Amino acid sequence: MGLVSLQLLVLVANIAGIYSILAIGMNMHWGDTGLLNFAHAGFFAIGAYTSAILTTPASDSGLLANRIIGFDFPIAVGMITATVLAGVAGVLIGATSVRLDGDYLAIVTLAGAEILRLGISNEGWLTSGQQTLKNIPRPLEGALPSMLPYGFYYFLLVLAVLIACYLTFRYLAKSPFGRVLHAIREDEDVPKALGRNTMQFKLKSFGLGAAVAGLAGSLWAHFIFALQPTMFTPDLTFSVWAAVIIGGAGSYLGAITGMTVITLIRQVTRFIPSDVPLGSKLPYIRLIIIGALLVLILYYRPEGLLGNKERALAGMEEN
Amino acid sequence: MSQSPILEAEDVTKTFGGLVAVDDVSVSVESGEITGLIGPNGAGKSTLFNLMSGFYQVDDGVIQFDGTDVTTLRPEKRAKRGLIRTFQLTRELSGMTVMDNMLLGAQDNPGESVVSLLTDPRGVSDFEQTHQQRAEELLRYIELWDLRDEYAGNLSGGQRKLLELGRSLMSDPDLLLLDEPMAGVNPDLTDHLLDRIISLRDDQEMTFLIVEHDIQTIMSISDTVIGMHNGQILTVGNPDEVRQDEELLEAYLGGGVI
Amino acid sequence: MVAFDPQLLWNGVVVGSLIALAALGLTLLFGLLNFINIAYGEYLAWGAYIALGAKWADVPFILAIVLGAIGAGLIAVITDRIVFKQFSDRDPVVLLVVSIGVAFMLRNLIRVVYGGSTHFYNVGGEAPVVFGIRVLPAQVIIVTLSIVILAIVFLILNETRIGIAMRAASDDTDLARIRGIDTKRLVIYVSLIGGVIAGIAGVMLGIDSNINPTMGFLFLIPIFAAVILGGIGDPVGAVVGGYALGIGQNLSIIFIPSEYTPAFALLILIIGLLTRPSGLFGEATR
Repeated sequence: MGLVSLQLLVLVANIAGIYSILAIGMNMHWGDTGLLNFAHAGFFAIGAYTSAILTTPASDSGLLANRIIGFDFPIAVGMITATVLAGVAGVLIGATSVRLDGDYLAIVTLAGAEILRLGISNEGWLTSGQQTLKNIPRPLEGALPSMLPYGFYYFLLVLAVLIACYLTFRYLAKSPFGRVLHAIREDEDVPKALGRNTMQFKLKSFGLGAAVAGLAGSLWAHFIFALQPTMFTPDLTFSVWAAVIIGGAGSYLGAITGMTVITLIRQVTRFIPSDVPLGSKLPYIRLIIIGALLVLILYYRPEGLLGNKERALAGMEEN
Repeated sequence: MSQSPILEAEDVTKTFGGLVAVDDVSVSVESGEITGLIGPNGAGKSTLFNLMSGFYQVDDGVIQFDGTDVTTLRPEKRAKRGLIRTFQLTRELSGMTVMDNMLLGAQDNPGESVVSLLTDPRGVSDFEQTHQQRAEELLRYIELWDLRDEYAGNLSGGQRKLLELGRSLMSDPDLLLLDEPMAGVNPDLTDHLLDRIISLRDDQEMTFLIVEHDIQTIMSISDTVIGMHNGQILTVGNPDEVRQDEELLEAYLGGGVI
Repeated sequence: MVAFDPQLLWNGVVVGSLIALAALGLTLLFGLLNFINIAYGEYLAWGAYIALGAKWADVPFILAIVLGAIGAGLIAVITDRIVFKQFSDRDPVVLLVVSIGVAFMLRNLIRVVYGGSTHFYNVGGEAPVVFGIRVLPAQVIIVTLSIVILAIVFLILNETRIGIAMRAASDDTDLARIRGIDTKRLVIYVSLIGGVIAGIAGVMLGIDSNINPTMGFLFLIPIFAAVILGGIGDPVGAVVGGYALGIGQNLSIIFIPSEYTPAFALLILIIGLLTRPSGLFGEATR
């Protein structure tokens, strides 16, 4: 196990960690509040691009799409702004849930995210369009002892943020605030009949989950130091979604576990030598496995790996 | 005991498609009384409940609660003012425990504000503790205390009715609209609950509007009885007066299945 | 702003035919089975790919289309029997998620079998200019084939017992069951017909643009928009919605930059959903 393998491990760990933060946001929407939000990749993108644009001055290195807008703010500013902006976007998109529920909300949020992605792909003056937005600064690059790969130190940052988010959101879920969210998930009429402005709670849920996705986005941007719109497709939303369901919707630990499992499945091909038969097809086979896993878990264990079986079954058998 | 009506509906009409569910109804509920609402199936009782509580919007007419015009107010705003209702088909929030259901009933919980959660954790936990004690007292009274950690979805039909009642009492209502609160509840417990309702009326001046199909029960507990049929008010009066009303009797015999 | 060009209208009719056909299949399935089936896009894609494979095997194109259609129909029936049927007692939201899993599997199966790159049918030929409009033979095929298939399907829906049963069940499944219509067998028929229609639409989509693994999924947005616009379960509505969308999308180039034309369907979808009073299942909150 040489340095190359350590690099790979560190790479996968960072990806799993950042995506897990994404999953935490998704769990507040789906697991706690029962909101089917398919715009999550969009919030991730807003976070990533905001942080990148604020911290990466525009240069004239691009051939076709010339990015004009760029700043040189410190990374911390980028991250905070990314989080806030994504949160605001979450509240705006959440406003559609005033009239929509369930699968319709899913389609509307998906459409919203796709419009956003169109915007990112086309407005090259802001985002470099379909070209790569390059040279995003990495915190403390070059200032850290080089016996360990940079990614290792970055992972410490990711881990710290992940743990902080996990503790915060778990606290929120167990609080009276979380209780109202759960009530909305079960039956929105009840908290209404008991005096709660459910729309406000849904907007807060949307906002918080989206903000956390934005934070993950900025962590992503500064890790991967180059962005492309193809990193933010609905496929990503579905993967995070599948992760939350497989791990156990409603459980934050479940969301993190599920996302780690999915990430490992997707990244495992990096660890397999390419001259294995069917090797070139492995990336696709792993996605087939994820799809199959999703269906199987939904059938045999709808509460997910770490979910609450009792809660999932409560009320299903009619007395 | 105040004599002014706590709830007044004036000329209220609600139509669905071609069907007039509530037809130019004017009715008032006197404060500090128990009012019973009876009528065959399809008479419009549930629709009236929905209109009063704000889950349906009136096509025509005015609804006044506690002296204020609430006709255009959303359900949660009416609930905040003290107008609480239960549902005919219980909405028991299956994936939450009995205790959580009860705690949800307590209004103005500082812990529901994210800001307060972060800045005033002490205030939040104090409120929770106080209301956990209230919930315990209520749960013991409705004999659901042993099931406090059970998921509400696992309760029997009668137990769910009780939970819904307990939960709405946690809200400290001024007017409680009860939609068939005793369906499926065993007779002993029913008497127990009726006693509780009566004492709430007497001690705390809580007003009740109850829909119930068991005529005996309604007659025995109500101060005023309202009879509905085909979306209209047939009769209003004290139980003795209503018992004599022939029109209402006909409606029951000739109308829907009870 | 760009000047009005009748070419846009023609292009709109072509794309509209595609969307209308695909939307018809989807609305029939949607109306009967009551859940959003993301895998529908993959029935489309598989139809295109099977036809492609047949063409590579030197099968005459017409026959290749038939094979693609039948293949897609079979895939639709099989996924329904093996997967969706197992979840028939569950929430439509669960079925949506399951359909996403199925779509994942089908789409990546395409990549395993055919690889990830883009292909073409190469339906070439002279493109005469008629009234200032360039008319590609491929486009003529699409429009003609669509009209023929639409006519056949509507004939089935209106004249045959099965078709009438399908329409009844699409409108109100419970009522249909009460009237004695065997909804279980009906599901198989509708799945088959819906899949076949999707397959044909897939081939036509391949003719109009290209064949790639994400073709079905990307096309789902305009198809859904057409279905919502026309009313779920309403075959005529879906067709009208499809043409409206295709023409609208192409005419919108006059007003918005062409890179944003996909946004047209997206906006119609959003506006359509937000203004619907209530849905079959995803009910608008009061």
